[in-house]
Amino acid sequence: MPRRKRRFASRVRNYLRGFLAFLFSNVGVIVLVVAYTVAGAFMFQAIEGASEIERVHNMTLERNYTAQYLWQNVTLALNLFNETALKHSIGIELNKYQSKIVTAVRNGWDGGRSSRQWSFSSAFLYSLTVITTIGYGHLSPRTSWGKITTIFYALLGMPLFLLYVTNVGQLLARWFKCLYALVCLCRGCPGFTRRRVVRLRTQMEFSEAESIERPEVWRPSASDSDVTPEYRMPPYPIYHHRRADYMRSTSMPQARSARSPRPVRGVSVPPYAVDSGASSDFSYVTFDAQTITVPISVCVAIMVGYILFGSMIFGLWEKWDKLDGAYFCFISLSSIGFGDIVPGERVYTPRIETSFIVCSMYLMLGMALVAMCFNLMQEQVIHYFACLKRALKRMCRCKR
Amino acid sequence: MERKQHSSLHGSFRSKDSSSTTGSDPREKIKDCLRKFIAFMFTQVGVGALVVCYAILGAAGFMHIEKDNPDEQLENVKQWRKSCAEELWNITVSINIFNESVWEQNINRVLKVFQNNITSAVHTGYNGRSAEDIWSFPAALMYSLSVFTMIGYGNIVPKTVWGKIVTIAYACFGIPIYVLYFCNMGKVLAQSFKWLYITAHECSRREDALFDEGEIQPIKRKITVPSTACLWVISFYILTGTIMFGAWEKWNYLDSTYFCVISLCKIGFGDFVPGANITDSAGGSHLKLVINFIYVLLGMGLVAMCYNLMCEDVRVKVRELREDLKNCLDDITLKITICMNDTKYYHQRQTRHIK
Repeated sequence: MPRRKRRFASRVRNYLRGFLAFLFSNVGVIVLVVAYTVAGAFMFQAIEGASEIERVHNMTLERNYTAQYLWQNVTLALNLFNETALKHSIGIELNKYQSKIVTAVRNGWDGGRSSRQWSFSSAFLYSLTVITTIGYGHLSPRTSWGKITTIFYALLGMPLFLLYVTNVGQLLARWFKCLYALVCLCRGCPGFTRRRVVRLRTQMEFSEAESIERPEVWRPSASDSDVTPEYRMPPYPIYHHRRADYMRSTSMPQARSARSPRPVRGVSVPPYAVDSGASSDFSYVTFDAQTITVPISVCVAIMVGYILFGSMIFGLWEKWDKLDGAYFCFISLSSIGFGDIVPGERVYTPRIETSFIVCSMYLMLGMALVAMCFNLMQEQVIHYFACLKRALKRMCRCKR
Repeated sequence: MERKQHSSLHGSFRSKDSSSTTGSDPREKIKDCLRKFIAFMFTQVGVGALVVCYAILGAAGFMHIEKDNPDEQLENVKQWRKSCAEELWNITVSINIFNESVWEQNINRVLKVFQNNITSAVHTGYNGRSAEDIWSFPAALMYSLSVFTMIGYGNIVPKTVWGKIVTIAYACFGIPIYVLYFCNMGKVLAQSFKWLYITAHECSRREDALFDEGEIQPIKRKITVPSTACLWVISFYILTGTIMFGAWEKWNYLDSTYFCVISLCKIGFGDFVPGANITDSAGGSHLKLVINFIYVLLGMGLVAMCYNLMCEDVRVKVRELREDLKNCLDDITLKITICMNDTKYYHQRQTRHIK
């Protein structure tokens, strides 16, 4: 009975832990961010939508009033045949009207747009620009409740989005490293690996092992190392043993347990190599995708490529020229967000909804991509600094 | 952030080296001077000066690029107004003057066309000022600040092709410098604030500490500034900004609080910008822009400080929470086992009693 109870408690605890881990995992964070944005979209739509209709009505009234005024004061009061005087007074009146329009537009009125300004998709884009701190400003809250809500929405949403960016950025960085290793360095193919081994061995004979190693201090704790096997190995031997037990129990040949399937290659070091320090240089031979660093030029190329891709997409979609598209993408992704060029801003377009959605998708992905590039670049820079420091140290030692 | 730390670490490493091997050679001296200069550039004052210099440089550059730009919008709007007046005149001449409703209908149609033109002009950046009025020096300063701090108010935007290209390049170099400033300023302010907090804390606690020094001493070293203190500091800063801008710009308090929060969060909608009022005179807005520049730059440092302190605090809290949770779980399991054992003993005792 106590055993069962404890098992139940532990199971509940496990479920809870799993749920929390899921929430903080990548999928959970993405879902959370999207849900938060959608909730924000509904909220802002409800708050701001009502006052928008009122504003449009006000503007119509204003126009009627101007026409009335022109009739009353200008046309009736002045002599009809005095053309210049009439034109002059009409010009003054129109100038007044124009400044009224400009102020109204500044205050969020949007001249005779075919769709409502605070539609769902534009409210979605608005809440996204709040939590990503881009802040285009093409839409901004006009009611006092909208402002208050925006402040609190931003205070809550920004940490959430930061979490999203770091999480997804790390994930993308890991994937990209795998991809880079497979495609560009060709570490996957066996022939290349063999050649590499030979080259590394010859290198190692000339230089002491320390020069190639990176000290563990500089390495981020998430990625495991290739030099100190005891960091990386613990999960795998257990796996091997378990596997071996299983194999033994099913009376299979022992040899098969050695090459247990792994999605990422890099763990071909047999488990007994762990405790023998002499064979630690063997682990150079094996390859783990997380240990390599991607050069900065590749990261920069990715970002530039993404911006160009965005400029192409928006060029197709919004008929912007290339420079405007690239400018928009850069200003958005660096979270500056002037808002002078915003998709769906042309006054009469039937496809506004989709263009907002495309823009949101582009932004969400782009932010994660930028975070990924920064992640990779940071690693590379740290690596350079470590190398530089070691070289300096050695130089100093040589002097003395 | 990481990058900067390493650079500064690296710098300190180098300077340490240099101090150990200082010679009297002139070459060594020059090297030492250079090293010191680089070390200084990575300190707070150097970085602050760098940021300000960069902003001023950018302001001058953007002013130069954008000022010569002939504004087509302004001409267009004038043209529209003229043609609108012409049309109104034509309508007045052609239509019988005593038929008021028809006249008004026609006028309304013309006015609507005019209104749509103006609206689209405003959307593409018209705001009733010529380029020379807009790109005054303080405004350009504000613009370059809004670029490299990633606020992006958007009340002033480049219209020329070269302006756009230069903006992109400027942001590429400016943002790392700004991040450097952010981290540096955050660290320094956090340290000084922490020192202040701890001294205040000690002063208020001196009487208690006198009694048993041996016990309190190790506890004192672990003091972290609670996040509520950071929040107080930030809200005080926002309140200051609120009152200041509210008094100058005649905004109500909600609007100016909104402006401060939106600026300090780097969102920057640009619907409220000091000195950007259309009806405002150009001369008075310059001082406001400069003060806004200082306010935002200082505020960013303060936000960085709070971020630093709160990170530390949260880390400590999470560690404590984890330990507490572990203790709690251990307690519970212990209690359960004791309980079970007790029942077992109880049963045994009962059986013994029965015997």
